[in-house]
Amino acid sequence: MVLTDEGEQLRRKSLEFLWMQNRDWVSMAEEGDPLIIEGGKGLRVTDSQGNSWIDVNGGYNSVNVGYGRTEIASAAYDQMVRMPYFPQGTTTVPAIQLGKKLAEITPGDLSRSFPVSGGSEANETALKIARAYHRRRNDDKRYKVVSRKGSYHGTTGGVLWLGSNPAAPRGDFEPEYPGMLYGPQPNSYRCELGGTTPSECAYRCAKSIEELILNNDPDTVAALIAEPIATPLGSPVPGEEYWPMLRDICDRYGIVLIADEVICGFGRTGKMFASEHWGVVPDIMTVAKGIISSYLPLAATVVSERIASQFAGEENYLRHVFTSSGHPVSAAAALKNIEIIEKENLVDNAATVGEYFKNQLMGLKENHKIIGDVRGLGLLLSVELVSDRRTKIGFPKELRVAERLNQKFRENGLIFRVGSEILNIGPPLCITTSEVDEIVSVLDKSLGELSTEVDIK
Amino acid sequence: MVEVPKLAKDISELRYSALNHLWMHNRDWVKTGEDGGPDIVVDGNGIEVTDIEGKTWVDVNGGYSSVNSGYGRTEIANAARAQMEQMQYFPQGTTTAPLIKLAEKIASLSPGDLQRSWPVSGGSEANETALKIAKSYHKRLGDNGRYKIISRRGSYHGATGGVMWLGGGGSSRSDYEPAVPGMIYAPQPNQYRCEFNGRTDEECAIRCAEAVENLILFHGPDTVAAFIAEPVSASSLAAVPGDPYWPMVRDICDKYGILLIADEVITGFGRTGKMFALEHWEIVPDIMTVAKGITSSYLPLAATVSTSRISDVFAGEQNLFRQALTFGGHPVCAASALANIEIIESENLVNNSARTGLYLLNKLKELQENHPIVGDVRGLGLLLGLELVKNRDTKESFTPKSGMSKILNKEFRANGLILFATDKGVSLSPPLCIKRSEVDFIIDGIHKSLSTVEKELSIL
Ligand SMILES: Cc1ncc(COP(=O)(O)O)c(C=O)c1O
Ligand SMILES: Cc1ncc(COP(=O)(O)O)c(C=O)c1O
Repeated sequence: MVLTDEGEQLRRKSLEFLWMQNRDWVSMAEEGDPLIIEGGKGLRVTDSQGNSWIDVNGGYNSVNVGYGRTEIASAAYDQMVRMPYFPQGTTTVPAIQLGKKLAEITPGDLSRSFPVSGGSEANETALKIARAYHRRRNDDKRYKVVSRKGSYHGTTGGVLWLGSNPAAPRGDFEPEYPGMLYGPQPNSYRCELGGTTPSECAYRCAKSIEELILNNDPDTVAALIAEPIATPLGSPVPGEEYWPMLRDICDRYGIVLIADEVICGFGRTGKMFASEHWGVVPDIMTVAKGIISSYLPLAATVVSERIASQFAGEENYLRHVFTSSGHPVSAAAALKNIEIIEKENLVDNAATVGEYFKNQLMGLKENHKIIGDVRGLGLLLSVELVSDRRTKIGFPKELRVAERLNQKFRENGLIFRVGSEILNIGPPLCITTSEVDEIVSVLDKSLGELSTEVDIK
Repeated sequence: MVEVPKLAKDISELRYSALNHLWMHNRDWVKTGEDGGPDIVVDGNGIEVTDIEGKTWVDVNGGYSSVNSGYGRTEIANAARAQMEQMQYFPQGTTTAPLIKLAEKIASLSPGDLQRSWPVSGGSEANETALKIAKSYHKRLGDNGRYKIISRRGSYHGATGGVMWLGGGGSSRSDYEPAVPGMIYAPQPNQYRCEFNGRTDEECAIRCAEAVENLILFHGPDTVAAFIAEPVSASSLAAVPGDPYWPMVRDICDKYGILLIADEVITGFGRTGKMFALEHWEIVPDIMTVAKGITSSYLPLAATVSTSRISDVFAGEQNLFRQALTFGGHPVCAASALANIEIIESENLVNNSARTGLYLLNKLKELQENHPIVGDVRGLGLLLGLELVKNRDTKESFTPKSGMSKILNKEFRANGLILFATDKGVSLSPPLCIKRSEVDFIIDGIHKSLSTVEKELSIL
């Protein structure tokens, strides 16, 4: 632990020299932020003042194996000492083994990985492969990409325009990328198309994507990208019909189906990959976060051989390079991380403890009218708050519900950042039921207080 | 630990996996398989790497012009391990000590008032961030019409959806059309092939800078958000602009309220013999992007560094710049970057880059006297380039059909060099810890390789 003085000095420097995400340095200064995190084990992290926190967010839903896994540090160290880096024109042993491992654990004929350093890069790579795939087959008109309102696929120049988030408008970065089509999100709690059951909503939302494609000339659509379960709007699990229908629609119109498993992959939803819940094999799958539990930057675009084969042959190679692609140290760390997930059965733990967690949240719902909906799968769970269960109306901005909750969670030792009235839960997959109880009891207390403050009975 | 197989049978199995499951750069798996499968490197030390069969190579490319401090730096591995054992990761918003120290270090090294770093994981992300900051900056000031970006033909700024449309030329990205709206392309100040027939470095530089101003006037100054350029462009084979270029570009940007983004992804951290290449011309950009040499590629890390004039516009809760990257500001990568920068400083690698770079440049110029295929030799520090031509008088380049680069690449291999040639030429960017004796070895290998190519293609 650094001395408090030194911690304070560091904190000031961070305000002077760092441009941090989601926060600005003026308001952070006013609130005595940022926290400087110094150590971690399992679900818990420690800050420079010696306070211990439970990380309910799991570091952007990414630290699947939890903190403090020194085995991963050893694996990274051993690799870095021997061969710290080499460009992906030549390759390295860990990059190859990771490619092989991904082919083994991903569903169906997904078998070839383009390794990169983040989810945005993985999705950019997927879009480029999809567009190039059609061109290589002389299907030249295809360039449009279908995504869904309320989804998030990254922040770089192309993928930034996929999905949408009312809380983070993109006007600053206009003009928009050409060819973006937006479908509805199969969220049965607020079904845009009036479906009242998950099945009905799923059916209507999938049909609506088909109509969107038909109305925009199917021969011009290159790809459809979707997260099996979309986190930003609170992890609505689509009805059973949804994914098989999307698969059919893509096949019918010759569209490449891209599953963004950046959050869902590596056990988060109680299966290794969430697409498995519905037995659907996408043409391209992107993975990041849990593949390495964020111990280092790594992600991958995993492609079926049917798509990849268009790029075989000397002159057909894909023109696409990232300096850090297939980084051997990141690959070695990822291999160790996956080994831990497998050895400790963290996927099963996500399913069982996730179900326990969800049941506890359902229990809270019975006592707290402010909870409108509890949903999710495995350890990707969400609680949506409403001012009135019947109308499902949220809260006026002046009530600052998110800020109040952030304050309460903080006072009670939770790292649990809430951006809106939707509380997204994504802890490390090694969480135990007693840790769930701890979190739920803080939630219980905090929601009780909040209900009084905003006058919900 | 990831074991390195020793038996021929296991090695060939590994190669088979690579061919089946990896999507590698700049080559396809069928041809690679026919050629015996990919090279697999397993060890490195200084400027040398060793492959899985035990053969040693001299890495004249320095990774992708990125391994500035060379291979085998256990200090960096120690720093990474210590940090990863203590604190593996935490999303930025809260933060970690090594990241803060790195941001402070970057501010202290960067020229002028560049002082606030947005940390990311690669050069593409850093440039995307720079473009987004530039576009938002104008909007926040109510200057809503500015969205166009000027880059230069023959430059490279990355592979993601926005930046892939900068620079470039030819058919390299036709697979990915349509382009992002608002791309404007200026000429590359390459005196050897000056688009304006400038006869001297100065003349070419002045005309290329004037061309930037003309483009701005043509497209409407109020619609242009930023100008982005590498101080010396590696993808244009290290063409060094004449001295008037950068001061003129700085003035033009100021005159029309356009942000100047310097892409120091390759040129930063000593590559050209200064810590940052724009120091050669004493120019301070509004935004600078760095990657590669900042960690010598030991881990993925990059940053977008802004002056306070720019970043202050985003201070205050209502003015937040909206962007997040999961791995942005990774503490382990930051710790490695700090250890790497310490090596660069304590071993004076920036000076070595200047001195040994000059030695290498002179040796290459000597080679040129004996090799008619070498049209031009140029560069700064340890970022050097050779343009190869069929005929020095006409400066005619080779076409893929000539097979020149294939022969040359084979020869470089035969001479133990990792050095990649295209039909336009060769760019050299070895680790900055290179010694003179190593330069001599490289020159000897290039000499032999060029002789063979000249003989096979009858270039006299
Ligand atoms: C579903 C999804 N896709 C892509 C991304 C982008 O990943 P990254 O932040 O690593 O670029 C994220 C990040 O949160 C995500 O949640
Ligand atoms: C000048 C320049 N800018 C940006 C990039 C992109 O960096 P990255 O490959 O890390 O995304 C490169 C990569 O070679 C580069 O040379």
